[in-house]
This record gives sequence, C-alpha cells and structure tokens, in this order.
Amino acid sequence: MTTRLEQILLSGQFAVTAECGPPRGANAEVIKKKGAALKGYTDAVNVTDNQTAIVRMSSVAACAHLLQMGIEPVMQMVTRDRNRIALQSDIMGAYSLGIRNILCLSGDHQTFGSQPDARNVYDIDSMHLLNTVKKMSDEGTDMSGYKLNVAPEMFIGAAENPFADPFEYRVIRLAKKIAAGARFIQTQCVYDLPRFKEWLKMAEERGLLEKVYILAGVTPMKSTRMAKYMANKVAGMSVPEAVIKRMAGVPEDRAAEEGIKICTETVAELRETKGVAGIHLMAIEWESVVPEIVEKSKLYPRPA
Amino acid sequence: MIVGEQKPLEEIKAMVAPYDNFLILGCGTCVKTCFAGGEEEVATLASALRLAFGKDGKKTKISELTVERQCEGEFIRQAASLATQNQAVLSLACGAGVQMVASRFPKIPVLPGVNTTFIGILEQPGLFTEKCLGCGNCVLDVFSGICPISRCSKKLLNGPCGGSKNGKCEVNPETDCAWQLIIDRYQAFGETEKLYNYVPPKDWRTADAGGPRKLVREDLMV
Amino acid sequence: MVTTRTAEEVSLAKRAFRPKITVFHCFNAADLAFENNGDCELKAVKMPCSSMTREVFLLRAFEAGADAVLVLACPEGACRHVSGNLRAARRVARVKKMLDEIGLGGGRLNIFNVTQGDDTAVEHILKETLAGLEALGTNPVS
Ligand code: SF4
Ligand code: SF4
Repeated sequence: MTTRLEQILLSGQFAVTAECGPPRGANAEVIKKKGAALKGYTDAVNVTDNQTAIVRMSSVAACAHLLQMGIEPVMQMVTRDRNRIALQSDIMGAYSLGIRNILCLSGDHQTFGSQPDARNVYDIDSMHLLNTVKKMSDEGTDMSGYKLNVAPEMFIGAAENPFADPFEYRVIRLAKKIAAGARFIQTQCVYDLPRFKEWLKMAEERGLLEKVYILAGVTPMKSTRMAKYMANKVAGMSVPEAVIKRMAGVPEDRAAEEGIKICTETVAELRETKGVAGIHLMAIEWESVVPEIVEKSKLYPRPA
Repeated sequence: MIVGEQKPLEEIKAMVAPYDNFLILGCGTCVKTCFAGGEEEVATLASALRLAFGKDGKKTKISELTVERQCEGEFIRQAASLATQNQAVLSLACGAGVQMVASRFPKIPVLPGVNTTFIGILEQPGLFTEKCLGCGNCVLDVFSGICPISRCSKKLLNGPCGGSKNGKCEVNPETDCAWQLIIDRYQAFGETEKLYNYVPPKDWRTADAGGPRKLVREDLMV
Repeated sequence: MVTTRTAEEVSLAKRAFRPKITVFHCFNAADLAFENNGDCELKAVKMPCSSMTREVFLLRAFEAGADAVLVLACPEGACRHVSGNLRAARRVARVKKMLDEIGLGGGRLNIFNVTQGDDTAVEHILKETLAGLEALGTNPVS
C-alpha cells in the first residue's frame, strides 16, 4: 500500500506538499476552507500538531476532515505533549481513519506557546517516534513487541534543519533519522541556498540521498517585518542579508508580491538541484497563496 | 548538592503569621552551601522577621537553631526540645529535610522556608546550575559526561533539535545547548563515532515516573 | 576639630527626634572621632574590613533601634582585602531590598566609600543621612 505522496516520489516526479495549521477552536469549517484552497495544487497537506506550542484542534481530527474532502494528509506528530502510550494509540487511531503519512517531530518547546506554564512530556524523542512507527509498520508490533491485529503501515517522514548548529552534525543526525525509519524529509525553510546545497552535498557524500526523499521547505515572506522576524527571532533559521534587502527594497504594499517572487525563484532553483525531490510550502496563515506559487512555478496541474 | 533558594520574605511572613512563637530551623549541609538555609541565613531571616512583625506592632518570639543535616533523624533530635516549645517550625532545609522534620514532630506544623530547585553545582561564585535529575539509572557514559536528561530542555537522547544555535538552546539564549556540549566533548577526546549510535528510549521506571522511590541497603540496616 | 554650625545644622538640631545612627566602618576607611555629634546619637562599630559586615549585623542594628545605618568602606580599588568593599556594597544592596520588603525602607541603609582621614566627607555623609531621615522619620520598630 502506498500513499499518493509516496507514489509521486517513487515515480521521480517533483512533489509538492503544503502546510496547514488547524484552528484555535473547534470549527471544522476553518480547516475545510484551507483544504479547499489547497486542493489540486498539492500532493499532500501537512497538518501541524499544536505548532509553536499553541493549543489548536488536534492534528488527527483535522487530518480526518481533510480526508473527507479527498485531500491526502501528512499527520504531524510531536513528542512534546504525549507519552509513548498516547502516541502509539493515536497512530493506530489515525490509521483507522485512513491517515497514511506521518511526520515525526520533537516539537517546539512549550515555553514559546500559549500555555508556557504547561509541563512537557518528552517521554521519547523524534528519533524514537520514527523508530516506533517503523516498528509498527514493518513488524506489526507496538513498542513492547506486542503483535497488533492490524499494523498501521505509514509512509514515515522526519524534519531536518540544515541551518541549525552544529552544522557538520546535521548530516549525522539525518543519517540517524533515516536509519530510525524516515523515508522522506521535510526541511526548515530554505532562504540560504548555498548552505542548503552544502548540506545536500554532505548528505550525498554519505550516500544518504539514495535512501531518502528530500522535500525542501519554502515560505513566502509577506512583509519586511516578517523577513526580519524570521531572521532574528525564529530559532534555527538562516535568512541571508540579501533577501531582507530585497524585501526592504520595495514599497510595503508590494512586499508580498516580492515575497512570492523570491519564493518562486527559490523553487525554480531547488527544482534544478540534485537531491531535491520536491518542495514543502509553509505559508503560515497565508495558505491562499499556495496555488499562485504552484502555478507560477509551473508545477500545476499536479499528477493524478 | 541540592540547590535551593529562600522564599520571598512576604511569603514566609504570611506563613508564620498565625503563630506567636516559632522556631527557624536551619540545615548545615546543602542549603548552607548555597546560602539558602544555614546558620547565617537563619539569623538574618529571624532578624528580618522580627523587624517585619515589630513594624506591625506584633510581638513574636523567634527561636533559632541550625542542625548539621535535617535529612537525618540523628541530627533532628537536637531540635526536639526547642521544637516542642514552639507553636511551629519554619524549616530552611530542602523539601526532604522539611518532611523529615515533620515526620519527627507529628503534632507541630512544619513549614518550608526554602524553594528546593535542583541537584546542581556551584559553577562560579553566585551561579548555581542544574546537572542531574536523579533519574535512577545514570547514562553519563553514553553522553560524554554531559547529562541530556537534566540539561537538554527536551530531554533528547538523540539530539540536538533544530533549535540549537551558536551553542545555545532555543529555549533560552543564556543556556548552553546540552547537545552542543556533548558533541564538543566527544570531539575533544576523539569519540565522535558514538554520535551515530541510536540511543533507545529511556526506561523511566527508575526515575520519578515509577512512583516514590526507595533504596534498600540491607547491610546497613539495624 | 572645630566646626561652625551652619543654619541647616541648627535646624536639624531642632528636629522633633534625635536620630540614632549606627555606622559600620572599616578601620582602614574612617576613624570615627565624632561620636558626640550633637545632632544625632551615633554608634560606631569598627570592622577589620567593610566586607565583614554581615547582613544580620545590619538588620540587628535596626532591631536595636537605629533610625539609619551606614557602612563606610574604602574607595574602590583601595580595599586591603582586594574587593571587600565591593562585596560589602552588594550585601548592602541586598539588605536594602530586604528593608523595603519589611516596610522599613531601604533608604535607611547606605554605603559610602571614604578615604581614611577625610572627616569632611564623613560629616557630609552624616548631614545627608540626617536630611534623609527628615522624610523617613523614626524607625517604626523601635
Ligand atoms: S543520567 Fe540520570 S543520574 Fe545521570 S546525571 Fe543524568 S539525570 Fe542524573
Ligand atoms: S537546543 Fe539543544 S538543549 Fe535546547 S532543546 Fe534543542 S537539543 Fe536540547
């Protein structure tokens, strides 16, 4: 059983995924509206799991809403809020609902979020979660070795940040994630192409690119303010000075347009870059821009 | 050592306000070393409380005593006569000491004057840092001698996360990223290949997840 | 030493209360030869170094009825015990905060750096302290 995302990657076609954040509330219409805007323009849609530690509708539920609309979800799962018992149980539940792609993460620390007074869990880390899903999929057992009646077979992904420190170690960690079970990687937003390519080169030297599909993260900037925020405030982000200058160089009412342009150019270059299997569009609270970028990048229509 | 910090005066004052006389009981071991509850702090706190109550026109009799260790019954015995003469005991020991004292004096309220913060070290004068969570199964050998359980904000056994930047943790730019330290140390003694190892999930039963822990040494029992 | 009293000093002498001031001084810093100052009741406590002034000494001086407490330390860089004066300054800052919390007012406690034999400076400090006490009033605990 393969998912559409997996099929596209297997066939060597350039994949497109996009991120979609569930609402801060129980309104399913919000997720459906976002889904409708993305439908047809992406191969799969990532649903975040209480991203930046802000309490939102659960990823599993939001994924189920997308499924009903005929959109293939990638369920993101962080180890911050659930222990191994809850995580495994939710993986089985997700599978029973038809969810087949999963992205395993450790998650942003809760002190950044809406309820910094919360206790975190971190019973296991993202590496363990990858290994757990792999074990469930391949061996059909839970972490304890108990044989499951139906194995949740998932297409397993992980995140990697080529821009975090220590740089040389990022590739070692990528290797560890692949060994633990990751079959696709969605990266942190790429603005710093030279550094991204350096990371890819190191991965290639270690023979990792044959073992995993790399989907490069891209995020269009809406304003100069956002560019500066991303450069200075977001942990593990590298935004070159030239990008900020470009954003600042246009009048504010045309900044979004410039942001889209930069993004489209980045996508074009990524498409030409060896080892990049697709892009992952993270247009945070700006999901409506995704179709435009996909079209401008000549990635539309998507393969059936 | 166990590191602690004296509670704010206002909080302590409110805690002991119902009593006309009480004993401030210091501990001469860990909390003394971190300047939270030794003899000196007992004297200072007693004086400050006398002034604070005196200002309100309230007569309060405060007794002062510091014992070697409040986590050992042997030493608490010395406090028995003073404790029983008072309506309450304000203990400046760590949470363990406070409870030990309470168990010895079942009829007297025993109040905490210190916030017990962590197991740590004196990194430099005036700076105490956390180094251990008492997980009950030390794995420092796997992590080059740096503990990710107490020092990585996410307790990652296969770190670092994507937030490590310039050697600092994403959670607090003042805090070192434990994983950067682990890597640096392995590099320093040439064992970086260990970084490739997948470290399996931790068995938390020996840590706080297993319920209150007990350590039995039959050879020492009487 | 003969001093002529200024009008200000005369007015201070006429205040409603005769403030009690306790001075902790490093014997290297000042040599207090002014115990019988007419404007206030002075109590001088000689210390081998200002850094030996423990927090509890400062608080107990207030318990004993002092309206103000002063610490006289050697000038920066001139401490015989390397940085005793700096440590004293930090301790005073801590106790000032405590006095604020207690409700006595941190303003009742101050530390000054003085060179040995500089009587004018000491006199000036006392004058300032007395002026400050105009606003603070007597120690409410005494
Ligand atoms: S591994 Fe456990 S016992 Fe060892 S330092 Fe860390 S928390 Fe303490
Ligand atoms: S930045 Fe380093 S210390 Fe902080 S959570 Fe990530 S790996 Fe742990």
